[in-house]
Amino acid sequence: MNADLRGNPTQISIQNPSLFNSIPETSLAGALKGCLGSLDGACIEKLLLHCASALESKDATLAQQVMWVLNNVASLVGDPNQRLTSWFLSALISRASRDCPMPEISFNGRNSIQRRLMTVTELAGYVDLIPWHRFGFCVSNSAILKAIEGYSRVHIIDFSITYCMQWPTLVDALAKRHEGPPLLRITVPSYRPPVPPLLNVSTEEVGMRLANFAKFKNVPFEFNVIVDSSSNTPCEMISKESHSFHLESLLSQFNPSMLKLRDDEALVMNCQNWLRYLPDEAECSTIRETSLRDAFLDLVKDLNPRIVVVVDEDADLGTASLTSRMATCFNYLWIPFDALETSLPKDSSQRMEYEADIGYKIENIIGFEGFQRIERLESGSKLSQRMMKAGFLSIPFDEETLGEVRSLLDEHASGWGMKKEDEMLVLTWKGHNSVYATAWVPNSFEDN
Amino acid sequence: MPVDLDTSSAMTVSTASGGGEASVSSSGDQTTEPPQPPKQPSAKKKRNLPGTPDPDAEVIALSPKTLMATNRFVCEICNKGFQRDQNLQLHRRGHNLPWKLRQRSNKEVKKRVYVCPEPSCVHHDPSRALGDLTGIKKHFCRKHGEKKWKCDKCSKKYAVQSDWKAHSKICGTREYKCDCGTLFSRRDSFITHRAFCDALAGESARVQTQPNKEEDPKVQTAVAASSPPPPPAMTAQPSSAAAVSSVLPTQSPELPEKATTQILEEAPATAAGLNGGCSSSSSSSSIGSSSSTSVFASLFASSSATASLQSQTPAFTDLVRAMSHTDHASKLASSASIEPISLCLSTTNGSSLFGAAGPEHRQYAPPPQPAISATALLQKAAQMGAAATNASLLRGFGIVSSSSSAVQQESSQWSRLQLEPENSSVTAGLGLGLPSNASSGLKELMLGSSSMFVPKQTTLDLLGLGIGPGGNPSGRLSALITSIGGGLDVTAAAASFGSVEFASKDLGRSS
Repeated sequence: MNADLRGNPTQISIQNPSLFNSIPETSLAGALKGCLGSLDGACIEKLLLHCASALESKDATLAQQVMWVLNNVASLVGDPNQRLTSWFLSALISRASRDCPMPEISFNGRNSIQRRLMTVTELAGYVDLIPWHRFGFCVSNSAILKAIEGYSRVHIIDFSITYCMQWPTLVDALAKRHEGPPLLRITVPSYRPPVPPLLNVSTEEVGMRLANFAKFKNVPFEFNVIVDSSSNTPCEMISKESHSFHLESLLSQFNPSMLKLRDDEALVMNCQNWLRYLPDEAECSTIRETSLRDAFLDLVKDLNPRIVVVVDEDADLGTASLTSRMATCFNYLWIPFDALETSLPKDSSQRMEYEADIGYKIENIIGFEGFQRIERLESGSKLSQRMMKAGFLSIPFDEETLGEVRSLLDEHASGWGMKKEDEMLVLTWKGHNSVYATAWVPNSFEDN
Repeated sequence: MPVDLDTSSAMTVSTASGGGEASVSSSGDQTTEPPQPPKQPSAKKKRNLPGTPDPDAEVIALSPKTLMATNRFVCEICNKGFQRDQNLQLHRRGHNLPWKLRQRSNKEVKKRVYVCPEPSCVHHDPSRALGDLTGIKKHFCRKHGEKKWKCDKCSKKYAVQSDWKAHSKICGTREYKCDCGTLFSRRDSFITHRAFCDALAGESARVQTQPNKEEDPKVQTAVAASSPPPPPAMTAQPSSAAAVSSVLPTQSPELPEKATTQILEEAPATAAGLNGGCSSSSSSSSIGSSSSTSVFASLFASSSATASLQSQTPAFTDLVRAMSHTDHASKLASSASIEPISLCLSTTNGSSLFGAAGPEHRQYAPPPQPAISATALLQKAAQMGAAATNASLLRGFGIVSSSSSAVQQESSQWSRLQLEPENSSVTAGLGLGLPSNASSGLKELMLGSSSMFVPKQTTLDLLGLGIGPGGNPSGRLSALITSIGGGLDVTAAAASFGSVEFASKDLGRSS
């Protein structure tokens, strides 16, 4: 609205609430019409979608109105819907402030990554709050164990955002291996996407501790970091803008000599919550015709690994349309919020931190576009198609793996379940797909 | 059909698939489709697999109410409930009431199987019926019932009391304890924690004090897999390794000689340990300690090494490399001064956008009120939102620009967008109809919109800070920013708000 409207204060009186009922067609009124009484998940979703489309068409009024309504629902200490709404609202505001360009304001408060740094032991507890991460670890380790049978040397190249939390249980299992433990080498890239959970120590320090533990378990161990352009920058200092650059740099190091591959070792590629950070559009990568994601998979295939495990969240959140991302995001991320609600009390700080990290993800998915939107999640079925197209064959999971997952889930709340879906093993919460795990080999694999 | 009551007529057995709550179809010799599983010999009372019933059996469908009812048989005098009619009859004797115990009938009792009333359940189908009344009751409660029983120690909930009791017996009994004192009920959590815990790190730190000395070729054969140095007599518990190694510092000066003999003696055990299981090896391969890895290494070199030992060469050098790399990296890290800047959403404040973190930020509605009337919200939204401008949008959320000229430009741009389609038809309900339509439609509703948008007051309402109208403006603004910016330092924000230069606070940029 323009300034002269503001100049004339006029009282607004809403004559008659039932007026709304007789005009059901307006977007906002219509959205709320079915929600008289309490605002439930479906209503909130509608409101979010309205806000998204308002922002897309730069309708400040409607956007603001919807945000105002959402604000009344939002609560960081409420039920899962309220908490989710709170984070979504935050992301929307972030986007709104960017969509309304005001050069003299560099409101970066929202743009910076979550700065909460955890200790390693805190992170160890973090990944155990709900089986969200542990599921992937369990399935992957079990598949890896099977794939490296008979090898006396194993080399795992680890792409993940959980700083080697996966490996202690593998080390433990290797130590007990019937034929004795192999020599285990773990290589990690020095670049890690600037996303939570963040540690207060370097990757090298983590490697040290892991080496220590391996020593304690009598497992011969080596830890390497792929040095690249980002090696001298702590993770939290890396900005989203340089994300693609760092990835390109990493991929350029991706060859047998830089990775110090050996012929007598079983090569394992472990990708947990990682592929989503590789841009999928060809235009995002300057040098290649294929997208970075496909290029990465080609490189992996060329290295001829014994097994490639890919674990990630089962949702399509990388589409161009804001409104479609909004709906999917809301419905999908309700799952961990609901799981946390069941597992932890309302005022648990661990829970709120976990939720804040999910909030970071929401902010990136909803609040950003282009290079800055680094979270480009792809569902398991799409990923599977991509892998097959890239020349990989899926490896089925055996009964032992299934049994291990079942025992894992038995120790958590009863809403967690597991199911097999095509090539994937999927973790479910109350029947909804949450995390998928898959295992692959190059389809022209030759035994060394 | 009579309504199901807590009497023995709760189930009906009939051949017709009649109506009413309890309808029954008889399988086996009477109707068309016998269940798939093969016929079991009836001589022995054999226990079938769950859900593979005897095809000759009579299928009984009980109602949900019956299945969940615990005490179906009630004494008319004292209202005491019993699970079985027999028990009620015996009880009735005590009231001097006529009682009758049903005799076990002479003819062969027809086997009964039970189906689950829940249509979506796999046991709803007669071919997957369960053979036991208690079983079907428990199944129904577990799968389709409310979990009323909760374990005290963990968060697990159960619908069946016996399940809950069984769990409570074992909950917390299997516990793992880390040296640091933390308890774990799950092994994988314990292992992961242990691997990274300071307690483990501390104990081996001594062993790696002089990484730079490792140019010695003898050192190259040192094993990265050597276990931490506990003295010979120790228990099989890994945790004792830590306790024991704390003794080491006092011994270290004299140790090399002493260690030599010890190690040589135990070397075979160590070699065996390398191939054996982990926990046993850590206890059996009691290697004397030394303060320097080089001593260690040379001793291993002299022992009759297995093939695996020799292959450790690159392992050790790389480990060393990793360690020296660590020193370098950690120096970098500390110089980069990772101070906890309160920009993030979850700060020590615990504050976030509209959260009720700090004491000075109160929520609009004290603890969440899910039952807010949508119409009330709509009214309010329209009241304050109709005349919004671009700047107001941002101002409403505490983002204010110091120069207003840009604002005017933007706002006129935006108002143009909005005022144009005055009379377009509005789209229906959820349809993500053109918002401009919506807002104009809304305007019609609101009878010409032009309510004055008073930034400060309305803003406060918007954010629900509950700050009174008489407050000091910059205080309000800074409070707003704090609540929006999720933990921005209030004073800094208030001070720098004019120029709104947050670059210095943003770690993403090194300015």
